[in-house]
Amino acid sequence: MSVPALRLAIALLTILPAMAAPEPAQLTPNQVAQAIKTDTLTIPTPGELFAALAKPGKIDWPSQYRGPMPMTYRNRAQIALNLGGLIADGFIAVEAQDAQQVKNIGGDIIKMAKALGVSENILSRGNSINEFAENNDWGVLQEELEATQNEVKASMQSHRDQDLVILVSLGGWIRGTQVVSDAILKNFDGNTAKVLRQPALVNFIQLKVDGISPELRNEPLVKDVTSQLAVIQKLVSLPSGNAPTLDDVRKINEAVTKLMGEIQNKGDVK
Amino acid sequence: MISRFLFLIAFLFALCLGSAGAQTDQEVEARKTALDVAGAFTNDGFKLRDGHWAGAVKPGDHALIAVNLYAGNHYWFSAGANETAKKIGVDVYDENGRQLVAENYNAGEKAAAGFSPVTSGQYFISLNLLEGAASSLCLVYSYK
Repeated sequence: MSVPALRLAIALLTILPAMAAPEPAQLTPNQVAQAIKTDTLTIPTPGELFAALAKPGKIDWPSQYRGPMPMTYRNRAQIALNLGGLIADGFIAVEAQDAQQVKNIGGDIIKMAKALGVSENILSRGNSINEFAENNDWGVLQEELEATQNEVKASMQSHRDQDLVILVSLGGWIRGTQVVSDAILKNFDGNTAKVLRQPALVNFIQLKVDGISPELRNEPLVKDVTSQLAVIQKLVSLPSGNAPTLDDVRKINEAVTKLMGEIQNKGDVK
Repeated sequence: MISRFLFLIAFLFALCLGSAGAQTDQEVEARKTALDVAGAFTNDGFKLRDGHWAGAVKPGDHALIAVNLYAGNHYWFSAGANETAKKIGVDVYDENGRQLVAENYNAGEKAAAGFSPVTSGQYFISLNLLEGAASSLCLVYSYK
C-alpha cells in the first residue's frame, strides 16, 4: 500500500466510526425548562409504580391493605387527598387480583367523589369497576381506575375546584410510595429500590401545590403536607444510577407513613 | 378487544365531557391516530395511560413533553397527527436532555418509540413534525 493510500485508510478509519455513531442529540437547558408538563401524563399512576415493583418477584399485595376509611370527612382538601389514596388502594387490590376488595374500594371511591360534588356520571364508573372485578378483567381494571380518577379530576375542574385536582394526585402518590417502600423494606433489593427515585416528580407536585389558592394552601392539613413534602423531596432525590440503601428506603417509608397517617386521621381540620 | 372498546368509550366520553379541554378537530383526529398506534401495544399486554397531550406543531419543529418513568417497566410512546402531517417521529431524552436509543416505529402520520429505563426519574418525549404542513400532534403512552 502506498503512503497516500495508507494515509487515506487511516483517515477513513478515524472518520468512519464517528459517522457510523453520530453524537446523540442534546436538548438545550432552555428546551428542558420549557417542556410541557401535564397532570395526566407527567404524574405516573400508582399502577405504573406497582408494575415496576412486581417485576423482580412476587409481592404480598394483601399485606398492604389498610382498614376501612372513614367516610365522614368534612374538609374538601382532606377528602381530595384521601380520594387519591383510595384510588391507589384500588390499584393494590387489582395487583392482588382480589375482586371483593376492588368492589369495596370502588364503592368507597364513588362515595368520596360524591362528597366532593363531582358529576353523577361517576356512578357509571362504579358499575364498570364492579363488572370488571366480577369478570376478573385485571388489565382493564387498571385502566378503568385511572379513567375514574381522571373523570373525578375533570369534574372538579368543571366545578372550579381545580385546586383540589393536584391533591388527588398527591394523595395517590403518597399512598403508592408508602406501599412500595414498605414492600421493598420487607424484601430489600437495591435494584428494585431504584423505583423510589423521583426528584422531578415531587418537584412538579410541589410547584402545583404552591400554585393553589392562598386560602386552601393555608389550611392546617395542606400546610402540614406541603412542609413534609419538602422533606420527602430531599429523600427521593437520590443520585442517578445509585441504588438506594436500606436506610434510605426506611427514611422514605417513615416520612410517607407519617404523612399518610395525618391525611387519614387528622381531626376536623377546618 | 375489550381494552380497545374501552379506549373508544373513554375517548368519546372525554369528548362529551370536554375533560381534555377544548380540542380542535385536528387534535381529535391526531388523538384517534395515536390511540390506533397504541392499540397494537395493548394487544401485547401494555396498559394504556388514560391521559394524553395534543397540540399544534410547526413544520420542522417539535413538542417536548416531560414524563416520569420507573426503572423496570417497558414503555411505548405512541404519537399520531392529523392528515396535514406527512412524516412524524418520536424521540426519548433523559433528565439531562441527552437523546437515548429507543426502538422506533414510523409510518407517515403515525410513530412510536419503545424504551426501558434503567434509572427511575424524569424523561422527555419529543414529538417531531419531520415533513408536512403545520399539524396537530398527539401523544399517549403505554407501560408493562
